[in-house]
Amino acid sequence: MNELIPLMVIVPLMAALLISAFSRFNTVTKIFALVVAICLPIIPLASNYGLHYFGGYEPILDNVTNAVYHPAITYSFTFLQQVFIAMVGLLTFLVVFIYLTKYRKVSGPYLFLLFLGTAAVTAMLLTDDIFHMFVFFEILALAQVGIVAASSINYSYEMALKYMILGSIGSPMMLLGIGFLLAMTGTVNVTDIAAAVHNGLINVTSPVFLMSLALIFFGWLYASGLPPFHTIKSGIYSKAEPHGAALLQSFTVISMISIVLIMFRIYSTLPIFEVLIVFFSILAMILGVSMALTQTDFRRMIGFLAVGELGFIGLGIGLGTQFSITAGLFQALNEIMITALLFIGFGAIVNATNEVDTRKLGGLLAYHPKVSLMLLIGGLAMAGVPPLSGFQSKLMLVQASLSCGFPEISILAIMVSIATFVVFVKTYYSMFLKPKPNDLEVENKEVPRAMIFAMGILLIIIILLGIFPDIVINGISNFVGGIL
Amino acid sequence: MAQTQLIILMTSAALIIIGFYSAIFVDNIIKKIIGISFIEEGVNLFIVAIGYKAGGIVPILMPDMNTTWFASNAAYPLPFGLVLTSIVIGASTLAVMLALVMVIYKKYGTLSTKVMLADTSKQEEYNE
Amino acid sequence: MLELVLCIIMVLSAILALIQKDLLKTAILTGFSGGAMAVLFQVLLAPDVALTQAIVGAAIIPVFIALAVKKTQREDS
Repeated sequence: MNELIPLMVIVPLMAALLISAFSRFNTVTKIFALVVAICLPIIPLASNYGLHYFGGYEPILDNVTNAVYHPAITYSFTFLQQVFIAMVGLLTFLVVFIYLTKYRKVSGPYLFLLFLGTAAVTAMLLTDDIFHMFVFFEILALAQVGIVAASSINYSYEMALKYMILGSIGSPMMLLGIGFLLAMTGTVNVTDIAAAVHNGLINVTSPVFLMSLALIFFGWLYASGLPPFHTIKSGIYSKAEPHGAALLQSFTVISMISIVLIMFRIYSTLPIFEVLIVFFSILAMILGVSMALTQTDFRRMIGFLAVGELGFIGLGIGLGTQFSITAGLFQALNEIMITALLFIGFGAIVNATNEVDTRKLGGLLAYHPKVSLMLLIGGLAMAGVPPLSGFQSKLMLVQASLSCGFPEISILAIMVSIATFVVFVKTYYSMFLKPKPNDLEVENKEVPRAMIFAMGILLIIIILLGIFPDIVINGISNFVGGIL
Repeated sequence: MAQTQLIILMTSAALIIIGFYSAIFVDNIIKKIIGISFIEEGVNLFIVAIGYKAGGIVPILMPDMNTTWFASNAAYPLPFGLVLTSIVIGASTLAVMLALVMVIYKKYGTLSTKVMLADTSKQEEYNE
Repeated sequence: MLELVLCIIMVLSAILALIQKDLLKTAILTGFSGGAMAVLFQVLLAPDVALTQAIVGAAIIPVFIALAVKKTQREDS
C-alpha cells in the first residue's frame, strides 16, 4: 500500500500536536501515546516500496532534452528506509513506554518533542528533496534542544543553548550551500541535481560547486557531531534523560546517514568529497575514543564512544565502494541499537544510585545482576566481539578498506575497536566489579521493569543480527547498487 | 540590470559577515543571538536574489496573460517559496533561544556568555 | 537606486544595532533592518516573501527581543 508512505511522517506529527493540545487529560494521553508508538514500527513494515509524489504531480519528461523533472516533493521508500524507519519507530516505542511507566503524570510537551523528532528523522530519510530535508533538519534540531532542556539534570539549559547557538550557525551555512546548488541547477530535487551533475550540465570544478560542498559538509558535521562538534554532541547526550539520550543518538545517526547519502548522490564525482569524509571520520574515531578514556562521568563516556562509532559509519561511506557503503549503513543500524541499549542500561544505574562518577561507584554487580549482564553484552557488541552484530559490521568495514587498498585504515579501525573495548571494560570494572566504596549508599531500588523489557528487546535484535546479518545486508546492498 | 543583483549579493555577504562577527566575538548573549538572526537574514536575501530577474514581472499568472510570454518574463518563484519557510524557521529558532536565555538569566543574573556558557564540566567540578 | 538606499539602511542598522549599549535600542534597530529587507523583497519581485518578512522581521523579532530584554537586563555590561 503506497498510501502509507506519507503516513509514516504524518502519524507522529499529528500525534505530537494532538498530545500537546490535549495533555490535560492524563489517561487519554497515555493510551493515545502508547497506541501511536505501537503503530510507528508497524506502518513501515506494512507498506510497499515505491515513490510518493506530494500533490500528485508526476514527473515531467522534457521531449527536447530527454530529461525528467520532478516538480513535486518526492518521498522514495525502499528497503533501506524501511529498515531504518522501523528501527527508529521501535526505539521510539520503547522510549515512550519507559517514559509512560516511569511517571504517573505525563508531560504533554515532552511526548510532543519525542514524536516530533521521530517524524523529523523519518522525513529526512524518506525525502528526495534537499530543501525539505533542511526544513526537517531544523525541526529536528529544535526537538533535540527541547529534549535536552526538558531533562532535570543540572546545566541542561546551558548545554541546550550552546547546542542551539552552534546549530543556528551551522544550519544557515547548510541553507547557503543549498542556495548555491539551487542557483547552479534551478531545482532542489536531489535526483534532478544528480542528473545535472552527472550529465555534465554544470561545471563540477567551479568554485561555486566546491563552496556548496563545503557549506553542506559543515552542516553535516554539525548534524552528525563529528569533530569539531564532538564535544557538544557528547555533552547533550550526557545532559538528557537516559531514555531521551537513547533516542537522541538514533536521531543523530539517522540524520547523519540521510544527509550523507544525499551528498553522496550529488558530489560523488568529486574525489575530494570522499577524502574529506574519510578524514573527518578517522578524526572522530581517534578523538572520540581518546576523549572517552579520560572521562569520569560514564554518561559522557558513552557519548564520546558513540561519536567514535559514528566515525566507522563515515569511514564506510567515504571509501565509496558498494561493499563499504553497505558496511557503513549496516554499522549505522547496529550503532543505533547498541548505543540505545547502553544509554538505557546506564540510565537504570543512575536511577538506582543517583551517582554518575565512576570513581565513586563499585560493586553494583550484586545489586543489579540482570542490568550488568545486558550492559556487558551491549558493550562487547559495540567493541565488535563475535557473534554480536557489531562484529559483523566492523568485519565488513575492515574487509572493505583492505579491498580498497588502504590497509592502514583497517589497522586503525581494529585499533580503535580495541581501544573501545578497553574503555568499556575499564568503566564496567570500576562500576560493577570493583569492591564497593564505603561511602556509596546503594538504595535497594528495583530497576524499572520497562527498562529491562526495552533492553531485552534491543539485545534480542543485536544477537539476531549478529547471527543472521544477511537479512539486512542483502537489501542494503541492493539499495547501494541503485545509487552508485 | 545585473547591477541590482550584484548590490544585493554584496549586501547579503555583508550581513552574513556582520552576523558571524557578532556570533563569535560579541560577549553579550542577546547580541550574539541577534547576530545569528542576521546570518539567517543574509542567507534569505541571497536565495531571493537567485530568483530575481532584471526587468521581469512578479511571478503571479493572471488570467489574461500569455503563458509563453509569462514564462520568459516572470521571476523564478521556487526560491521565494523556500525563503518563506526559512523566515519562519529563523523566527522560531530565535524565540527558542531567547526563551532559554531568559531561564538561564534567572540563575546567573548576567548576560555575559563567558559566565553563562563556560565549560560545564568545569562548573561541575567547581560546585563540588 | 531604491535598492541601494535600502541595502545601506540594512547594513548600517545592523552595525548600529550591535554597537548599542542599550539593548532596547538594539531591538528597535533590528526591526529597522528587517523592515528595510521587506521592502527590498518587494523590489526583488517577491511580494509574498515581503509580506511575511514585514510581519516577522519588522514586528515579531523586535518584540521577542524586547520581551527578552525586559525579562533580563537592559544594559550591555
